[in-house]
Amino acid sequence: MIALDPREWVLLLLLAPAGGAILALLPNARASEAAARVASTLAVAGALALLVTGATGRWGAYLGLDDLSDVFLTTVAAIYATSTWYSRRYLRAVARPFLTPQTYYALLGAFSFAMIATLLVTDLGLMWIGIEGTTVASALLIVLERRPASVEAAWRYTIIASAGLTIALFALLLLYGATGTLDAFALAAHPPALSLPMEMAVVLGLVGYGTKIGLFPLHTWLPDAHSEAPSPVSAMFSGVLLPSALYAFLRIYRVLPTPVPVSLSDLVLTFGLVTALVAAFLLQRQRSFKRLLAYSSMEAMGLALAGIALGGIAIYGALLLLVAHAFAKSAAFYCSGNVLQETGLRRIDEVRDLRYRLPFTGTAWLLAGFGVTGAPPFGMFLGEVLIVVGALATGDVTVAAILVIAILVSFLGVNSQIGQMVLGPSSAPAAPVRAGAEAGVEYAYLNLGVSLALGVASLPYLTIAIRGAAAVLGGSSP
Amino acid sequence: MTIDSGEVIALVGVGILLTALYLQSESFVAPLIRGVAFQSLLLGVLLGWLAWTDRSVDLAVVAGLVVVIRAAIIPYVLTRQIRAFRWKVRELHAAHRVTGHALGAVAVTVIAWIVFEETLAPLFPSAAGALPFVLLVQGLLMLATRQNTLVQVIGYLEEENAIVYAAALFARGFPLFVEVVVFLDVLGVTLVGIILSIQRDVTGTPESAHPEELTG
Repeated sequence: MIALDPREWVLLLLLAPAGGAILALLPNARASEAAARVASTLAVAGALALLVTGATGRWGAYLGLDDLSDVFLTTVAAIYATSTWYSRRYLRAVARPFLTPQTYYALLGAFSFAMIATLLVTDLGLMWIGIEGTTVASALLIVLERRPASVEAAWRYTIIASAGLTIALFALLLLYGATGTLDAFALAAHPPALSLPMEMAVVLGLVGYGTKIGLFPLHTWLPDAHSEAPSPVSAMFSGVLLPSALYAFLRIYRVLPTPVPVSLSDLVLTFGLVTALVAAFLLQRQRSFKRLLAYSSMEAMGLALAGIALGGIAIYGALLLLVAHAFAKSAAFYCSGNVLQETGLRRIDEVRDLRYRLPFTGTAWLLAGFGVTGAPPFGMFLGEVLIVVGALATGDVTVAAILVIAILVSFLGVNSQIGQMVLGPSSAPAAPVRAGAEAGVEYAYLNLGVSLALGVASLPYLTIAIRGAAAVLGGSSP
Repeated sequence: MTIDSGEVIALVGVGILLTALYLQSESFVAPLIRGVAFQSLLLGVLLGWLAWTDRSVDLAVVAGLVVVIRAAIIPYVLTRQIRAFRWKVRELHAAHRVTGHALGAVAVTVIAWIVFEETLAPLFPSAAGALPFVLLVQGLLMLATRQNTLVQVIGYLEEENAIVYAAALFARGFPLFVEVVVFLDVLGVTLVGIILSIQRDVTGTPESAHPEELTG
């Protein structure tokens, strides 16, 4: 299998979701599902092969790979695959779906293709097209369940994300005006002298892509879209779409000469800290468990951005956090899908006693809560610790204190509410578990396993790639 | 008689800006659609002029796309949406705030202009340099202050026009310019054609809803 050269693996990784999206339009629903599953599995194979071989380099004018893209690609491919496999269980329980299974799988493939393409291109303009492509492909997925709230959420997502991306495009115009190229790899290898247009490009890039990353106060679409999308799509939004947008911003940020000017790194740090802190407090008052997870994702993005801005070992922490968060959060969304479909309830205070009603899902839900809030020994714990250590290393105790407050408040908020859902007593006697009620929970356990492994051991190849990615961003590794 | 390119750019740019201010002060949807179509047409003419003077095929393609898609197809689809909604073609939310919107738009224009002059002006040595920036801010303002989805589409189209205008003025060699414009328009058509249709079927109104599920 490894006999293919890196370029061929790259092509497989690109073509698998694209081919899957096309084949998913087959008239037979089962064939469509099978095509989507095969395509997503092939994408994982391609990503793992690139990870194992440690391939980096450029192929042609527009395709390229380094450790940074490798880490994100592996994560995107993995969550794409588990979400695709989990989708069967979810689609079967949707009463009057707005999309046929064929359209659903085609859009899921197109959505994944847009993300993977974003991570494989070297041109910032193409990256922008990829991120904008994710909006086009995923907007319709949100309305699968045909609820008025879903339509409103899809609308807000499309219009707000697109408006933000227009600002990001403005940033690229400035960058091109200043440097005469949009080749991210070439610009990173030979950073041009700092100029006002470059600084403005970074600021506008932060605001523009920040809308899609979910940074405060540009985040307003995020809780709506995450809570109204079908759970496998929410898993992809939270686990890999937000990081893909962050990746696009990082490629602009990387153009700055090292060390990054303090004014710019402070701006990025402030956005990260405020986002993490605001999200941590906002999630305390959530009534819907899917919105709770959405705000938790926003907090994670804030922490990751703060880690990137802090530099040094915090960059490694931020990347580890992003990967561990993707796996744990997707697991949490799969659990939320099972809970939603089996109870028909969305509000936290209406769901109780999951330990009896859905024992496997309830346990995974509890574990996922710990995983997404950085409880030891999950990978996010290590990531968060390294970000705080990075803050202390800069000598800024205030920043470290804000980070710790955000982490603790988020931990308490998420786990107390999930704890009530799983362990809280119900007034009604628990009905026997319906056969098939917990289908799909195996994917939650699988992803939780990866998130856990990232915290307790050095995962072969992936940890090495994260170290390499940290180096690409000018950071260090433990 | 020779025609100065700078004068053409500034003249058409002022027309585009005046259209943007008119759009902010209008609450009836049909005139808004005609207004943004006219703005796109002005932009298309400007791009056509620049394509002619630069002998640029890329710019000519973009000019054609802007005229066909933004000045004709999208306004046509939006107009059909109004009929489909059987609606009074007036944005309910904005109806009694027209004066406020107009004054706000003028104030935002002045502020955006000052911000541009203080920060970005040295980078863009052109009398019309501030216009795309101001237009972008006007589009964002419309998106932020209006609740009618059809009007929000118009705000988005204004933003798209601002981007194309900026690229045409300052970054004509911008790689993938045509592709980006095509992509923006694909998104515009997706927005207008699909999501609005779903909204019509599911909620029956183009006014943004605030369902209880989306609070918090």
